[in-house]
Amino acid sequence: MSAGGKKQLSQTQAAWLLLTPFLLTYALFLVYPFLRGFWISLHDWNLLAVAFNPDAKEYVGLRNYERVMWGRNIAWGLFAAPLWQGTGLVGLVLSVALVLAGRLSRFNAIALGVISALLVLLPGFHPGEEGRWYDRRFWPTVGNTLVFVGLAVPGVTLSALVLAAAMNRETRAMGILRTLFFLSQVLSVTVVTLIWQIMFSPRQGLIANITETFGGTPINWLTDEQFAMAAIVIATIWWSLGIAMILFLAGLQDISKDIYEAAALDNAKGVKAFWYVTLPNLQRTITLVVVLQIILHFQVFGQSHLMTQGGPNDTTQVLVRYIYQTGFRDSELGRASAMAVFLFLIMGCFSIIQFIVGREK
Amino acid sequence: MNRGYYWLILGLSMPAFLWLVPTIWMVSLSFQPNEVLARTTSTTFFGLVPLPFTAENYAALVSFGQTPWWFLNSVIVAVGMTLGVLAVSTTAGYVLARMDFPFKRTITVICLVGLMVPEQAVFIPLYTMFADFGWHNSYHALILPRMAVPIGVFLMMQFFRAIPKDIEEAARLDGVGWLKIFWYVMLPLARPAMMTLAILTFLYAWNDYLWPLVSAQQREYFTITLGLASIQSNFAQSEGLGRVMASGVIASLPVVILFLIFQRYVVQAMTVGGSKG
Repeated sequence: MSAGGKKQLSQTQAAWLLLTPFLLTYALFLVYPFLRGFWISLHDWNLLAVAFNPDAKEYVGLRNYERVMWGRNIAWGLFAAPLWQGTGLVGLVLSVALVLAGRLSRFNAIALGVISALLVLLPGFHPGEEGRWYDRRFWPTVGNTLVFVGLAVPGVTLSALVLAAAMNRETRAMGILRTLFFLSQVLSVTVVTLIWQIMFSPRQGLIANITETFGGTPINWLTDEQFAMAAIVIATIWWSLGIAMILFLAGLQDISKDIYEAAALDNAKGVKAFWYVTLPNLQRTITLVVVLQIILHFQVFGQSHLMTQGGPNDTTQVLVRYIYQTGFRDSELGRASAMAVFLFLIMGCFSIIQFIVGREK
Repeated sequence: MNRGYYWLILGLSMPAFLWLVPTIWMVSLSFQPNEVLARTTSTTFFGLVPLPFTAENYAALVSFGQTPWWFLNSVIVAVGMTLGVLAVSTTAGYVLARMDFPFKRTITVICLVGLMVPEQAVFIPLYTMFADFGWHNSYHALILPRMAVPIGVFLMMQFFRAIPKDIEEAARLDGVGWLKIFWYVMLPLARPAMMTLAILTFLYAWNDYLWPLVSAQQREYFTITLGLASIQSNFAQSEGLGRVMASGVIASLPVVILFLIFQRYVVQAMTVGGSKG
């Protein structure tokens, strides 16, 4: 093949020609909307009013952020939210103890420490005398999202870790078992919620059928304040165990067999080997899986929207669903965008952690 | 293979079966008559075995209701999105991995920073933008936003970087132009990576819920995922449990078949998608 009659493109020309399609869509449908989101969050912007008259928005500066996150006479106290702050204190102590015991790398310890410190600090804010939040639902919604993350992430991580360690052999039977555990992962969120809505139904559900056979009274899973969150967490663990399991299996492949053989000579087998060999060598993968799960589950929407509609009594209302409702049911795009920016900032922090962990090696 | 191994298999079979139960239950209900299910779902072995058996629910789905139409929409959107993402990602990924030009580093960084932006952070401004263009309730409104997500570029870039340089250099010495090298030399080599990216995109398109929910308000433009959400909120009164479950099975069929045939690629795709997007 030769250049023929036509003149060839130079490297730079060819590069720009091939880059243009992506750069155009990227600028138009990601960069621009992202910046526009900030801009909308600085306006009093009613979806319907602006749709009819583009000038019906008003610049309000950071007022939307204040209206979402702040209130009148907000004070801070160490015992304002004992459960949250207690958890934070335990986390702080734990991160120090684990570093001293040599069970945690410095980076993980710092990450855990920072999150714990935030848990001590942030829930300490509360309305003082005659004070109130401007938006009474925002922080409880953030709290629910954190509870969801706090239950789903350890649930997925622990079960995936145990399963992966048990299935870490390349045989046909193990392959089939892995397939079975992974299958639910490819289903869409609406199929998952469809299945579990009816599984949990006290009248028609499989769980109710089984409890009734054994003489129990069925639980109103999705409409009982005590169980609604547990129900969507169970459905979520069932749905998203697969990826975590696969990532752990990949991490386990990297641990050389020699270490296990050396450990076996020291009488470390089974559970002991898992604790003293597998866990320390798998720390990077565990961190990666945990951070990934946090990013993924912080954005939960479908499970809450379809299974419990945020209820009962707002106990399963989560951040993305609140953004969606504020924007598209209450038409308050400005406030919804301020919350979306808040979401992005949190996600951004975890993305950076993920990036650093991914690089370490 | 010692005795411990067989005990392990046996011990794992129990949770594996439990894991499968919800899916079996959906399939089983979809094959039972609605009149029976309205009374009780505890038919044969807690309803996990489809007796009494009927295929009526599937026949009803095909003859009336919008499920076939939604299914078709999903196919159009998923295939369109997959082709679009492949086109923009292979080209950009190749350029960023292999070619030299001014501002290359800057552009690479700008492109990859986009990996940090979650869909949930841009869906409101995207909604107003598409509303200004009058683009909602169309296939391109459902397809375009995903083409801007740099995960595919990242994936292809990683892949092209790993290919030895001499293949390309030999072609250069023969005086082959850059575009021809890309099309005739590099793309054929990139098939496995393109396969992974195609499956990742197809799964995403088929299962996406939030963006179709805000963009497609007319039922004619619902994808099957969105349509299923719209019928499950009032399944008890309207359609009958068996038929809703049949819709669920139909909605899952393409992704499950894809998974069973291309398991290796699916696992790879979801690992990449999970860890980077």
